[in-house]
Amino acid sequence: MRKRIIYWVVWIFVLTGLLLATALFSLYIGSVGMSLNKILRVILEGKGTLEYSILFDIRLPRIILGFAIGGSLSLIGVILQGMFRNPLVEPYTLGISGGAAIGVCLNIVFRLNRALGILSLPVCGFLGALCVVVLVYSLSVKKGVLKIQGLLLTGVMISFISSSLIMLIMAVSRTEDLHGIVFWIMGSLEEPNNALILISLCASIAGLILSYLFCIDLNALALGEEEAMHLGINVERSKRLLFIIASVLTGFSVSVAGIIGFVGLVVPHFVRVVVGRDHRILLVSSFLGGAAFLILCDTLARTIIAPVELPVGVITGLMGGSAFVYVLTRKQMLLKAK
Amino acid sequence: MLRINGLGCGYYDRQVLWDINLEVPPKEIMGIIGPNGSGKTTLLRAVSRLLKPKQGSIHLDGKDIWQMKYRELAKRVAVVSQGLPEETLTVEEFVLLGRIPHFEGLQFLETNHDFEVAEGCMALTDVLRLKDRPIGQISGGERQLALIARALTQEPALLLLDEPTTYLDIAHQVGMLDLIKRLNRKLGLTVLMVLHDLNLASEYCDKVALLSNGKIYKQGRPEEVLNYKVIEDVYKTVVVVQKNPVSKKPYILLVSEEEKRKKK
Amino acid sequence: MKIGIIVFLFITHLLFAQEDVPQRIISLGPSITKALYLLGVQDKLIANTIYCIYPPEAKKKERVGTAQKLNLEKVYSLKPDLVLATSLVDQRSTEKLKNLGIRVVTFSTPRDFNDICKQFLELGRLVGKENEAKEIVERAENEAALIREKVKNLYKPKVLIQVGARPLVAATGNYFVNDYIEFAGGINIAKDAKESIYSRERVLKENPDVIIITTMGIAVGEERKIWQKYEILNAAKFNQIYIIDTDKITSPTPQSFVKTIEEFAHILHPEK
Repeated sequence: MRKRIIYWVVWIFVLTGLLLATALFSLYIGSVGMSLNKILRVILEGKGTLEYSILFDIRLPRIILGFAIGGSLSLIGVILQGMFRNPLVEPYTLGISGGAAIGVCLNIVFRLNRALGILSLPVCGFLGALCVVVLVYSLSVKKGVLKIQGLLLTGVMISFISSSLIMLIMAVSRTEDLHGIVFWIMGSLEEPNNALILISLCASIAGLILSYLFCIDLNALALGEEEAMHLGINVERSKRLLFIIASVLTGFSVSVAGIIGFVGLVVPHFVRVVVGRDHRILLVSSFLGGAAFLILCDTLARTIIAPVELPVGVITGLMGGSAFVYVLTRKQMLLKAK
Repeated sequence: MLRINGLGCGYYDRQVLWDINLEVPPKEIMGIIGPNGSGKTTLLRAVSRLLKPKQGSIHLDGKDIWQMKYRELAKRVAVVSQGLPEETLTVEEFVLLGRIPHFEGLQFLETNHDFEVAEGCMALTDVLRLKDRPIGQISGGERQLALIARALTQEPALLLLDEPTTYLDIAHQVGMLDLIKRLNRKLGLTVLMVLHDLNLASEYCDKVALLSNGKIYKQGRPEEVLNYKVIEDVYKTVVVVQKNPVSKKPYILLVSEEEKRKKK
Repeated sequence: MKIGIIVFLFITHLLFAQEDVPQRIISLGPSITKALYLLGVQDKLIANTIYCIYPPEAKKKERVGTAQKLNLEKVYSLKPDLVLATSLVDQRSTEKLKNLGIRVVTFSTPRDFNDICKQFLELGRLVGKENEAKEIVERAENEAALIREKVKNLYKPKVLIQVGARPLVAATGNYFVNDYIEFAGGINIAKDAKESIYSRERVLKENPDVIIITTMGIAVGEERKIWQKYEILNAAKFNQIYIIDTDKITSPTPQSFVKTIEEFAHILHPEK
């Protein structure tokens, strides 16, 4: 079994390497081309120049946010898929993104961001998300037991209701507000407020550390709730706390970056195929994998048809979706060949 | 070791068990038998702390199980589950899950001791040779043994089994129960198991408790409980009870309707 | 000595005056681009959006994105001293530019002709062409007033301007497009509507005499066909359904505004 530990450590190194490579790639590529030599020189001595500013004020914040959001979304995906024992669950299934979207829409429509400053937008999003979290939770708790299936159903329903509400808001809003809403929903790693980026980073890392307190619980839950109880896990407490961690982190991510799909669904699957289902390795691997994936997608989004920038959700969807289909069909073919 | 006092429990609106009084001394194999719907599984679920008693209490070594922490209970009581675990887990990984109750504080990696215990349990149940195989790829009988191995790695004092011989052929049924008997004699493991097959219960259990309509109809040694009158009363079916020529334990024989008519 | 001071002051005035006038301007909206050309500062315009196609020379400029999403790196690397944006641009991008120390001025969508003129004057002031701007605005105001006079006593036809298809979006009262109708002597049936999404039923109820379609894209032909099917519709009956190029309507400068009202006036009052 020492073999397994070595296997795990190797994979952590590989994924970290991948992450660093993607980050450097993202730093290197952009509308303003810079050779590797130039970049090195700029980093070491170019403080105050245009190139330095481009690297550190424009590209780097996006990379950091990509790391935080990509990591968070994959982490949430792993937690929820473990809790629900359902591979199709992802961060937005519980309707939390819907709540955040409504919060943001209301903010835009009532011009709160003009009155209270641009920071009010993510704050409203977060409050909206929290409202949904509380609603979904209270509707799914019966006699002190958190019903997992109920959570899922309630979440999906609230998702639908939110989309309809958002369409309603969009239908009665003015054209300029409409644009703001659509932008936000499309998801973007562009965030002018560096403090917010820092908060997201801290939140995502905190989420990762906290989730590790439950890695054993998640392993046990994979056998079923009753089995987990037999193994000594306080299942109710674990479910509750995991739900809180997942929801709060989702609320954060959605409030800051909008809705970026597929990362939370697809990355855990891929990582699981490679490193296995043990949550002790899966949590951190998914985090690293998701971070790398999002940074890569964002880089492509802003460079593929420059100067036009595609919404990052488009790239995650296309890349994630097609890769997923490819792997699935290969698996089918391999099975048939057997 | 296990004392059940005046237990009454059930689900939401329906009460299934009434006034159950049962005592299982250490190192004993106790079988719970009874017709379908008599509450056997409910009793087991109550003992494994899945169902809260509406009346009465359950004590393990003098301590109320509902006063214990989940982990504490899991170190003393292990349940051999019915369910099929995740297909891609190897046998060893699966068995190691049984060590979870023994993880100290923030420990999240298995210690050498954990590995040793798991290996020992796999050896006892003869699945050690399968340890690197994914659970989905071994036979039903072997899977059942792996389940027992996992329960054993919890190093429990009490082992709970719910109809462990279902879906197994004769050879496997005997093999499994022989194993349980061996574990009982060798490790001093107390066993509480639900069995539907009266003959297996008679042959392998030190004591049996016969449930009927949520109450204990009779409990004691198999010879005391398994006579044709009692069985007829509870199961509402005519049987013939003989003695097993080898073990001298009661053996229940069924008679088909046709034969009964012939005899008349 | 005195001469020295005067010369010194003169030179510093020049220097400061030069500093005030931006030399590297980036436009993030077609209407802004048009306005800049009108004011004659196109040489200072270093980049615009891919939608800035009027006047045709604007197409030759560097492109930095769409009217909604701009490429931050490109904009920043061009070292502009003034970035002009419309309210369509993603607010986060303009915030980021401001954080990087670039001067950004955002123009909200004008609600009427007055706003168009005010914004034009503001733009003129920003680029140091205040006088030219004043001139252009005055001329436009006069011409507009003339047209209004001419059509004052003519019959006012009911008009609908459709600016969006699926869903059907009408130009309501708080949108400058409404003024095209009013100045040209017509009545906007959607003037008092609360939301810009309008139902086809309501249009039929109001029964406009003229329908002007100005959506972007290929939907225009379809929309016209749809309207023509309604026999009770006055506009369909008398074949008064027109398609007007979006650019003439939605990216206004004072000058283009007047030209458009003229066109409208001809449409609404052919006998004039």
